Amino acid sequence: MVSRPASTPDPSGQPRPAMIQLRNLVKRFGANEVLKGIDLDILKSEVVCVIGPSGSGKSTLLRCMAFLEAYDEGDVFVEGLLLGYAQDREGRRVRAGDPELNRVRRNVGMVFQQFNLWPHMTALGNVTEALRRVRRMPRPRADELGLAVLEKVGMAHKARSYPAQLSGGEQQRAAIARALAMEPHIMLFDEPTSSLDPELVGEVLQVMKQLARDGMTMVVVSHEMGFAAHVADRVVFIDQGRIVAQGPPEEIFQGQQQAPRLQQFLKDYLERNAFWTRTGEDPG
Amino acid sequence: MMVDFSVLTHNAGAIAGGFAVTLETWLAGTCLGMAAGLAMALLLLGGGRWTNRAIRLYIEVIRGTPFLVQLFFLYYGGPSIGLDLEPVTAGILGLGLYGSAYFAEVFRAGFGSIPKGHLEAGTCLGLTRWQMVRRIMLPQMLVIIVPSLCNTIIVLSKETAVLSVITVPELTGILTGIGSLSFAFLEVLVALCAGYLMLVELTAALGRWAEGKVGRYMIR
Amino acid sequence: MATLQSMMQTLPLLLQAAVATVLISLVSLCFAFLIGTAVCAMRFSRSPLLRGLAAAHVHFFRGVPMLVQLLMLYYLLPSAGINLPSLAAAIIAVSFCSSAYMAEILRGGFLGIPPGQLEAARLLGIRGFTCLVRIQVPQALRLTLPALVNEVLLVIKASSLVSVVGVAELTRTAQNIAASNYRPLETYFLVGVIYFVINSLLSRLGRLGERRLARAHSS
Repeated sequence: MVSRPASTPDPSGQPRPAMIQLRNLVKRFGANEVLKGIDLDILKSEVVCVIGPSGSGKSTLLRCMAFLEAYDEGDVFVEGLLLGYAQDREGRRVRAGDPELNRVRRNVGMVFQQFNLWPHMTALGNVTEALRRVRRMPRPRADELGLAVLEKVGMAHKARSYPAQLSGGEQQRAAIARALAMEPHIMLFDEPTSSLDPELVGEVLQVMKQLARDGMTMVVVSHEMGFAAHVADRVVFIDQGRIVAQGPPEEIFQGQQQAPRLQQFLKDYLERNAFWTRTGEDPG
Repeated sequence: MMVDFSVLTHNAGAIAGGFAVTLETWLAGTCLGMAAGLAMALLLLGGGRWTNRAIRLYIEVIRGTPFLVQLFFLYYGGPSIGLDLEPVTAGILGLGLYGSAYFAEVFRAGFGSIPKGHLEAGTCLGLTRWQMVRRIMLPQMLVIIVPSLCNTIIVLSKETAVLSVITVPELTGILTGIGSLSFAFLEVLVALCAGYLMLVELTAALGRWAEGKVGRYMIR
Repeated sequence: MATLQSMMQTLPLLLQAAVATVLISLVSLCFAFLIGTAVCAMRFSRSPLLRGLAAAHVHFFRGVPMLVQLLMLYYLLPSAGINLPSLAAAIIAVSFCSSAYMAEILRGGFLGIPPGQLEAARLLGIRGFTCLVRIQVPQALRLTLPALVNEVLLVIKASSLVSVVGVAELTRTAQNIAASNYRPLETYFLVGVIYFVINSLLSRLGRLGERRLARAHSS
């Protein structure tokens, strides 16, 4: 097990511990190098939004943080511990076994674009499954905790419903509850609202906003620029496998960062979304 | 040609006995086959290179050769390697081994049908592989594999007839014996057809009922 | 090794018998295809009687074990006064049994054609026999080819059962050899290998055919 203590002072002078540290992260799919050496620190209680064009590697980046993809070079540290790899007797790097991997990854929770709720269990069943199997909690206690966390996301009244009976927004909120039930220190969101009908996006973003306010460390890959602008502490722009620009939302969105690819990306986004300027309104 | 069913009623005891042997070999063979098939599918999931190759070879060989030849190999060839089996035992073993290859394919397809994302969610939450198989893959799979399982079970019920060739006293063997002695082939025919059609119908009906039960959560 | 040598000596005999197996299977398959097509057509008929008969045919020949059908035919015909050589009885039994599966396969193929295609054809004025021949059959064939190939393999294996009525195909020959050289294990192993090789070759041929058909359709 490799430990890397690290901290970065925040504006108030107190050092904030780094929850996730990426050092020169490289990931290849066959001959295609998707991540070309990423250095990134995610600090405690920070909300980091990762934006970028499709194919830029942002989802891969997130999945490497959860070791759903085995990264090829570099290091990923979760709360100071190396994720997914260990050193064998001769000091070489080998894949960590499942128990070791689970131990390091224990405090990371993930929410997926496709929700990935298990269809044969109720919402409450989904939420309590890990509590009962991994934490070995007895059923009454697990149900109690499960209902509490479902209440937090506004889904307590649908606890006994099956995923097929829930709307997309309800399913995603249940999925968030499922991850929250295990009391993670870090929550990763992989395009959590991209599969939702527009009118259902708001309820999910609301839950995420509340989580941020409660001090959860969050890494969010999303196209929801409004969320990035108003909730994120830091926005990271990735293009073609590299971090091209990062900084507070004001810097990124108000054009203070001059990276041309970032400017192009924002321009494309605004053109697609600022539909009101194309109806012949007088731009006086 | 006169049709006279009394030959059947006179031999009712023997016929019932034959039917019992059919049921016995069929159910025992099915259980053996399903257990072995599931074990193989689970091993394929685990993915050791040589175990996978061995299992795939086994499945291909069993599915690529006639059941009768496999039975002969077991029953007549067995003694050469010290495996001296009674016909019924050989029948059950043969049926089980034969079925296991088909059941293994059904289970393998079932495991493959689970969306990868469901397993990723489980991994992230810390579930072990075994917990995921038991709690997430198998329950979800059931809806998809029940029809195929049912089909394979029906196929095995019909293959029990082949057991008569290695002198197992099941339904076909007993009834054709009665037919040869009494020349009442038409009546024997009717009885045989009725027997097997009934078995097939019952199994198919059970299968439909099972499909309904496991698919409950899919209904909005 | 004495065993290997004696086994090699039986090989020519077995290969000859293998040819018989393949021929018997192919002849049965041809008949089965013809009968199956007729039954399938009956299934789509407007007459409920024909539809019922077709359904009963499929139900019966798929529900009763082939061995039983074979024995039935073999023993029943003489008592009805018809004396057929066992080979003929065998081919008839296998043909009828397989025809039920063929009918279902073909039915699946026709049902699998997207209905929009038939609607388009109808609006363009293409109906009836022309539509069947130019639009439905080619598509159904492409959809059913894998299942048809599979049926070929199944019949090759099922043909082993005709050994029971004394037809001199591969399994029967193996039984005769095993009875005379007292080496059942080696004999049946060898025979298993031969069946396996035949099936592998046919399966490969089938995949080749599927690929060519797919290319023809995509170009």
